[in-house]
Amino acid sequence: MSEEIENNETVYSVSDITGILKQLIESTPQLNGVWVKGEISNLTYHSSGHIYFSLKDEGAVIQAVFFKHANKHLDFKLEEGMSVVVFGGVTVFEKRGSYQFIVYKIRKEGLGELLQKIEKLKEKLYKEGLFAPERKKPLPVLPKRIGVVTSPTGAAIRDIIKVAMRRFPNIEIILAPAKVQGEGAVASIVTGIQELNNPRWDVDVIIAGRGGGSFEDLMAFNEEAVVRAFASSRVPIISAVGHQIDHPLSDLAADVAAPTPSAAAEIAVPVKADLMAAINNYAMRVSRRLSLICESFANRIALITQRRVFQNPMSLVENFELTLSDTENRLQSLMQKRITEIKERVSRIKDLELMIKNRLQNYWHIYMMQASKLEHLSPVSVLKRGYSITLKDSQVVSSIQKIQTGDSVRVVVYDGSIQCDVQSVSEEVSFGKKG
Amino acid sequence: MEKKAKKINFEDALEELEAIASKLESGELTLEQSLQYYERGVELAKFCRQKLEEAERKIEVLQKQPDGTVGKRSVKVKEDTGEIEDDEDIQGSLL
Repeated sequence: MSEEIENNETVYSVSDITGILKQLIESTPQLNGVWVKGEISNLTYHSSGHIYFSLKDEGAVIQAVFFKHANKHLDFKLEEGMSVVVFGGVTVFEKRGSYQFIVYKIRKEGLGELLQKIEKLKEKLYKEGLFAPERKKPLPVLPKRIGVVTSPTGAAIRDIIKVAMRRFPNIEIILAPAKVQGEGAVASIVTGIQELNNPRWDVDVIIAGRGGGSFEDLMAFNEEAVVRAFASSRVPIISAVGHQIDHPLSDLAADVAAPTPSAAAEIAVPVKADLMAAINNYAMRVSRRLSLICESFANRIALITQRRVFQNPMSLVENFELTLSDTENRLQSLMQKRITEIKERVSRIKDLELMIKNRLQNYWHIYMMQASKLEHLSPVSVLKRGYSITLKDSQVVSSIQKIQTGDSVRVVVYDGSIQCDVQSVSEEVSFGKKG
Repeated sequence: MEKKAKKINFEDALEELEAIASKLESGELTLEQSLQYYERGVELAKFCRQKLEEAERKIEVLQKQPDGTVGKRSVKVKEDTGEIEDDEDIQGSLL
């Protein structure tokens, strides 16, 4: 077994080992953030402000350091042999190869009972549901008037006024003065919270608390009556008790817990300039957006108006006018044409008349000619020219065959007739002198 | 709309104003809707600004009156330190 270990050749440096030890110790929960009871010995108030001592009991001793930044709130003087309860954790000081207890807080022994009492009350009120999350009221975003319950002469009210006015210059603050420690503190704080809950003060949020102090100084904020007053506040309430390690029970009962009065003022009061900037930002976004929208519509309108119709609205009428005059022209020429046509036809009718007249004249002429021809053809006109007709027994004699000597005949001439007796018949035709 | 603005509180007004800004930026609105939202936005911004100026910058201290009732008294403060400076004494408690 020991052979095996010795055979492991890994070699650590002192720093390595100390580092491992330091990490081990400092990450052990039981060695950090704990309360340790003991007696003070080898006490040294160093010029640097740090306090060094040993904490011991019958069986052991541990070196302890109470640094300046942690001991500045210490409200009593440490003494050799004093029984105390310290809060803090164990750390390793590598350079000296030692471990020591870093102290954050010291209480005189006997406070343990008080702590137990607080713990019991806490449990009781917890079971009652006084600290339940669903009981918490939201704080107003923009409180007009802040109610404060604290001492009028303490640091708390100064800090709250300073911070609140810096953040919101026209804030209204109404202070319910209260004793925050010692005799009468509990009743004073309870009265203050109750008074500010009276609607006549028109308070939007309440800050109740005090600046930092010793455990005993803050005791009032662990008292049942005060804790209940916080829990039953109608107005949203902020617990503002300056504390280092232990939360007072008022923190659990309040709607919001702030580590200091200044912090409470910061929580309660908005920065006016920020709100104004936010409003302006939204308003600007709204306006800018609208002007963009309007611009785009204006552009569209501009595009439309650039069209020819809007640029030269007369063009609309001009078109109609053109069409109109065109139609007019067409109509006129059509009419003209028609009129000419009709005229032509009318003139043609005149020709017809003339034609008919001519025709009639022609016919008349023809008629007259025929009539005169007819005249020529009539026997009368033949007789007039010297011819005559010989009749025998009312029969026209056209040959000698029908005639014998001694026959009586009638000779018809133009203007009468001659009764004759035939003396001879000859075949000879002669109109001259014979024989 | 005017009536409605009076009923709502600062927080709701600020929230609505932000919503209107986002809505307008979404670009999904008609011109008429945009105008309506713009009008409402301007109104809300005005309302919010008014609300910021509503408080009157005063520090008051409650004091118990001789007749036993509680009254208030305006006090002056040093702005840089926040210290209350008043000629008269201030009661340390309402008891």
